[in-house]
Formats: sequence, structure tokens, C-alpha cells
Amino acid sequence: MICACKDLGIPTVAVYSEADRHSLPVRFADQAICIGPAKSARSYLDIPSIISAAEITHVDAIHPGYGFLSENAGFAEVCRVSGIKFIGPTPEVIAAMGIKERARAIMQQHGVPILPGSEGALSSTEEALETAERIGYPVILKASAGGGGRGMRVVNHPGELPGLLTQAQQEAGAAFSSADVYLEKYVGAPRHIEFQILADEHGNVEILGERDCSIQRRHQKLLEESPSPALRPEVRERVTAKLREAIRAIGYSNAGTVEFLMDEKGDLHFIEVNARIQVEHPVTEAVTGIDLVKAQIRIAGGEKLADILGGPVQFRGHAIECRINAENPETFTPSPGRITGLNLPGGVGIRVDTHAYQDGVIPPYYDSLVAKLIAHGRDRAEAIQRMKRALDLFVVEGIHTSIPLHKRILNEPDFVAGHFDTNFIKRWMP
Amino acid sequence: MTNEEIRELIQIVTDTGVAELEVQRGDNRVRIRRSFGLSGSDEGRVNEILVPGPAGASPAPAAAPALKAETPPAQSEPELIYAKSPIVGTFYEAASPDTPPFVRIGEHVTPGKILCIIESMKLMNEIEADVAGIIESKLVQNGQPVEYGEALFGIRPV
Repeated sequence: MICACKDLGIPTVAVYSEADRHSLPVRFADQAICIGPAKSARSYLDIPSIISAAEITHVDAIHPGYGFLSENAGFAEVCRVSGIKFIGPTPEVIAAMGIKERARAIMQQHGVPILPGSEGALSSTEEALETAERIGYPVILKASAGGGGRGMRVVNHPGELPGLLTQAQQEAGAAFSSADVYLEKYVGAPRHIEFQILADEHGNVEILGERDCSIQRRHQKLLEESPSPALRPEVRERVTAKLREAIRAIGYSNAGTVEFLMDEKGDLHFIEVNARIQVEHPVTEAVTGIDLVKAQIRIAGGEKLADILGGPVQFRGHAIECRINAENPETFTPSPGRITGLNLPGGVGIRVDTHAYQDGVIPPYYDSLVAKLIAHGRDRAEAIQRMKRALDLFVVEGIHTSIPLHKRILNEPDFVAGHFDTNFIKRWMP
Repeated sequence: MTNEEIRELIQIVTDTGVAELEVQRGDNRVRIRRSFGLSGSDEGRVNEILVPGPAGASPAPAAAPALKAETPPAQSEPELIYAKSPIVGTFYEAASPDTPPFVRIGEHVTPGKILCIIESMKLMNEIEADVAGIIESKLVQNGQPVEYGEALFGIRPV
């Protein structure tokens, strides 16, 4: 964000918790305001502190990043009422996209393929049993108001459905704003395909290609790439056209990602809309040459998409991103601490986005993502080659990182062949 | 700002052990920050001098004070306690422009005594002392924006 603002000549204010006092964003922003202690609830999730900081520094806009308050419709509303531009969709759109089965219904109306499932939230066990019988087991129960695996249960036969439905509803009620649960066909070995969307505030929408994010562990992405090695061109074209219409009809503005599941036949099924910029957006930036965060800021400033994109979107080559996490590559336990040695890789086709620096401390309070390593090449083979080179040159001492794990992924024959689904990691580790 | 003036400011930072000094004169602004290792050692070096270019390039927040000094507790008299802001907002020394300040230098305060108001999102928050002692210093100015953890008053406990 600071990079995009510097490019645009916009001064920046970084808000930070005490744990991030010595972080790079605090150093490189034009101003920095401490908003609270390390605990997120009292700093990064504390709306009054953030708005207060915005007011005393007289900012024009807030970029919420990803995570924390980025998809909090209430926060977007407070910004609007306070006269501060929230860089993202409107509060109403954020709220609508947050109700999963409503988003499903809208997509279905516009011809975007969805998985067979219930019509909205399940109102009774009978309805659940009927729906499951109709679409065929196995089915998955999902929380309407949240994700991340909570309120989710896979049901293999009717006998287990009533019990699992109760469990899912209880878990959803405890974790999210509602206990509503809906039901979908369960695909056992799916690929995770997501489309990057960009829309201005004048009703113009563009789809900037897809990313394949199937390499995951416990619903956490480890590696993303574009284009997907498995997506057939005709499926891409068809879904892109329908999606463009649906997103326009929703009144969506700014950046977002639409998640799909690809079944064994290569068909796509809509899952949900993430109404924010995502971690893996650099993958799309690499293949399109478009600075997405800069585009977000310009959209929020009222500019038109045609001016921002400067012509039809061109896709060039192949890009891969590895999420370098501060964790033990075998046990996955988090590894916060001081970085005693650091060498960032470079060379042709390599980009590193990181908040790590020599002698810097990775605090234990937040996400373990330490760096995003992106490789771009003229084709997938070259991108893989460059990524391997970069991983070899990436030195981080003092903490554990997932670099050895990424090296292993890049060398797996199935990965190189493009044959993988979301169970890829599970096959050789828990 | 001349090189001589900048050299003088560096000297002040080094001599007094002040952690961070920011001076604005007209369109010129200098910030000098002493770096402290995370081990807590207060043997720092003056290592960062930021002199933004001409006025057009540097942001000029309307409420930036002319001089803001932060004294790290380790460097000051051992017994002094700092009342710190628990929120982000704007510091006011009195309940209104027409009323006298809540506390004055030299005044004795007890826990619960209102020291100041910090305004946040149009709400006036009364900040109370949590120790008994004498107000020895006031570190912020009326109307100044303050961040979480910013030292407001130095209180010598009795």
C-alpha cells in the first residue's frame, strides 16, 4: 500500500500496535500512529482507535488491507459516516457477499454455475435430508456467515446428517454472527480456482484472469499460480462472461476475488466472493502487468476502469507465488523470533514482498506470513525454474520458514506436471 | 535550516539522551531518532535523520506540534512515573477553553483525579491518575494529537 501511494504521490499514515513499532511499514509510512497494545482486539480490530487515528491525521481514505477489518461491513459503514473513503466495496455489498448462500443465489440468477445445494439456509433437519437425497451424497454443511473450516461438516450418509447438522449449527453460532447453515454437494478432490475482479464506481467490471490455489494445508494456501494448468479455455471464457454480468448486477466496486471449486471433470462451481484484495494478488499483477493496489486507490478516487487499465487486459506468461511462513516446515509450529541473517533473492522475473529485515523481530501475535515470493516466466516451466532459483537464494536465519517445504513442492513430479488438487499436501504430510 | 542548526540538534539528542526529536520551522522539518536495540539497552546511536524536501513533497498534518520530545523511562529519574494515553485522540488540558486546566505542575494528585481529556471520535474521555504523587511535567500541548501509549504527564509518586 505504501508502495502504491508513493507511486501516486499520496502521503501515508500507518497505524500500528506496540508489537509492530519497529516494523517496516511504520518506518516507511510518512506518519505512524500507535493505536494500541499487541492484542488485535485492542488495536487492529479496534474501530474507534483506527477512526480516531484517521481523524487526528486528517486522512482522506483508509485502505483496510486483508484480514482484520477488510471485510467488516460495520467498519466500512463507520468510515462512510465519518467522511473517510473506505477503499473497497460499499458496506451493503460487503454485507451481501458475507451471507454465503445469498451470494450463491445471486450468482445462480446470472448463470454462474454453482454446486447443487439447498435453497438458502436450512430451516429443518427434514429439509436437509430431502436436499441431500436429491443431490446425492456426499454433501457438505457450511456456515452461512463465515469460513475457515468452522461450521463445516462433510456428511457421507443420511444416518449421520441430523447429528452433524446440529454440530455445524452450534459451531457456526459460536464462531460467527449467525448459526445459519446451508448444504452443498461435496467434491472430494477439488481444485481451488479463483478469479480476480476489478470494478470501478461507474458500473464497469473487468475480470483479470484466474489463480489456481489448490496447494493448501488445512484450508491455508501455500502456493498460488496463474493461469491454472487445469482450466480449459472454453470454461474460462464462459465463466468469465457470466461473472462479469453477475458482478455488475451486484453493484460491486473496487477489487475482489470470486472463488470456485473445480470438480474432477474440470467444471467450475461458485463458492464465495471475497470482497477485498487478497494475499496472492501479486500473481495476477505479474501476468497482467496491472498494479492492483494502485488500481484500488484510483477506483476509490472515482476514476474509470478504462483509464486505469489503459486498454484491454493482456495476459503474459505464467506466475507462481510461494507464501513463506515463519513456521517449522515439518511440524508447522509457528516460529516467531529475531531474524539474524537475511538474503532476499532477486534476478530476472523475481519479486519479493516482505516485512522482514535483518535483526527484525517477527512477533508471535499475528499471522506467520513473512514474505511473498513471486516468480514470473514466459511459461510455467520457466516460472518453476525461476522460483527454484529464488528459493535456493532465499536465506532466513534465526527463525524457521517454510522454504524447505516450498522447495519440496516445486520438485514434486505431480506439481510439475500440473496434476494436483487440494489434497496434494495431505498426501505426504498431515 | 542550516547545517549548523542540524548539528546543534544532533548534539542535543546525544547529550540529553532524548529518544526522538522533531523540529519544524516553517516548511523545514527535521526528525532525529535514536535507535535502541530490542534488548532494551539504552546505549543507542543517533542513526536516523530525516529532512524532507521542499514543502510540496512533505505532508503537513495540521495538528503537528512544533516540538515533541519522548523521554524513555530508563533514562529519566528512576522514580518518575508517566501517565500515558490509553487511547488515540486529541489532548485537552481543560474541560473547555474557558475553564482552568485540570492539573498544574506541582499539584498533588491522588488515584482517580482527572488529569486531562482525550477526545476520540467526538467523545470526551476523562483520563484519571492511577498513582498518588506530584505532577512534575506536562509532556504534551493543549490540542495536540496523541497516540496510544504516549506519555502525557510525569508524576513523582509520594
